[in-house]
Amino acid sequence: MKDIISLFFAYARTGLKTRFQYKLDSVISTFAVFFREAAGIIAMYLALLKFDTINNWNIDELLFLFSLIFITYGIFIVFFMALRDFSDWIKHGVFDRVMLRPRGLLTQLVLCGADWLAAFGHGTLGIILFIISANRVGIEWNFGMAVYYIVVVISGVLIQGAVFLFFSAISFYVVETNSLKEIFYWNMRKFAIYPLSIYNKFIQSILIFVVPFAFVNYFPAQFFLRKADMAAYPEWMMYISPIVGVGLYALAYAFWRFSLRYYKSAGN
Amino acid sequence: METIINVNNLCKTFKIHKRGTGFKGAVKNIFHPTYEYKKAVNEVSFSIKEGEMVGFIGPNGAGKSTTVKMLSGILYPDSGDITVAGYIPHKQRKEYVANIGVVFGQKSQISWDLSPLDSYEVIKHIYKIPDKKYKENLERFSELLDMGKFINQPVRQLSLGQRMRADIAAALLHSPKIVFFDEPTIGIDVVGKDKIRKFIKTLNQTDNITMIFTTHDMQDIEKTCERLIIIDDGKKLYDGSLENVKKGYVSSRIIEAEFESLPITLDLPHTEITDVENNAMKKLISFNTDEVSVNELMTALMSTHNIKDVSIREPEIDAIIRDIYEGKIVMN
Repeated sequence: MKDIISLFFAYARTGLKTRFQYKLDSVISTFAVFFREAAGIIAMYLALLKFDTINNWNIDELLFLFSLIFITYGIFIVFFMALRDFSDWIKHGVFDRVMLRPRGLLTQLVLCGADWLAAFGHGTLGIILFIISANRVGIEWNFGMAVYYIVVVISGVLIQGAVFLFFSAISFYVVETNSLKEIFYWNMRKFAIYPLSIYNKFIQSILIFVVPFAFVNYFPAQFFLRKADMAAYPEWMMYISPIVGVGLYALAYAFWRFSLRYYKSAGN
Repeated sequence: METIINVNNLCKTFKIHKRGTGFKGAVKNIFHPTYEYKKAVNEVSFSIKEGEMVGFIGPNGAGKSTTVKMLSGILYPDSGDITVAGYIPHKQRKEYVANIGVVFGQKSQISWDLSPLDSYEVIKHIYKIPDKKYKENLERFSELLDMGKFINQPVRQLSLGQRMRADIAAALLHSPKIVFFDEPTIGIDVVGKDKIRKFIKTLNQTDNITMIFTTHDMQDIEKTCERLIIIDDGKKLYDGSLENVKKGYVSSRIIEAEFESLPITLDLPHTEITDVENNAMKKLISFNTDEVSVNELMTALMSTHNIKDVSIREPEIDAIIRDIYEGKIVMN
């Protein structure tokens, strides 16, 4: 474990060193990420002012729901960046080099891909949103709740990691997976910005059973907010995010290991 | 010496998606995909002893790289057995790769934006190289490969030859027992090539590292290896001493000459004149140095013709492979 941590820092050091070769670009890109995402939030905020509430969720509660997406994504791109862009790693032969090193394949991918600056952009935004909204939604924080909040954040990161681990495994067969990612991740993520209960049954079941974004933000947020629309779902769904996270990741991992033997390696 | 690499009936087939042409073909393809199967490696067997230096040659697409990728644990073989240093590469990848080093001429493992030294630090962590060994190796390779001047410079500022040397050092820092070189001299100038070849040869002799060298540059092989494995179309065509192949090709030469006037006649036995496409004034004259010396040939040519330009061609791998098919070179 100590060894893994020291490897993580070795990668992080060189990763940052690389980015700071181009200082201006790095600073600009961090701000670009921050403002791009912030602009989306401001647009949503302005739209919501017209409605007052959506399915009984007021603006602060919606921002709380939203903040979970940003915080988990900020952490996600520290650890799962390599899996997010895995088809590029295969195309450019980088994965060959990963296979030639005496460390676990996923250990290397998870440790070395971090995009620290983008993570900083997303993460800061998530934390700002969280601080603003968590104060105003009337959660009475205690130790247990704080711990559960950390647990659901980790689960949310794992769920998104698992989704991309599936896509990576598919890359072993077909290499290019961008349109799959577009449909099953980026579009689903847009749905997850609003409360699950506003959608029809079909989209709800996709968000619960196929790409379980509902367990990244909606159900965990219900644990803290206890909104009336939770009545439509079994109460235990508020508690199973960690199980969904670990379970889905284990499943994706098994599929990834199985698929590895079909890796074709790019020609010279 | 003991056998360190053992390959038996190795096979690998790639499924290639055959795309139809035009819009009709593309549409048909969605509903009726057709595949072609290409046997990239077909029943290849060989064994290599510890400390040996083996040249692995063949034309592009012959299956060299696929074989090396299977040997280094990157690809799963379809059938056949591989054991290297007591490991089965694709099954025991993590333990196995600590024992090997791989240099890809076209894919650098050191980071473009950092200095070689920065990349080496990460490699040290990945391979868990003890401080003392790391320092020793680094000093030694830095001296042998003459890297002192550029070891602290960002890789993007290095010449291709310098980058390649830095890459070779990167693959050797953990003191591997076996090193695979995949086209390590591609695109590098003559002086750079020579430095690399010399280093590789020295290391093979002093450290007893087993080396496999894929290339399509015959000079690489000539300057480094004693044993040669030739692969063509996925099959092993030749496995034996370089000397044996050399006998055939060293004495056969081609002169490319451009004449000032036609016709060209040459009254010398054992020579053959062939035309060059698109240029009637240019001819290829193939001959055998055992039968006709360059001196004799040139004298004969110059006494009867005015020559504008002349160059001597080295025999290429294709020529050697043709000789093998024609039975002029026999495996020993």
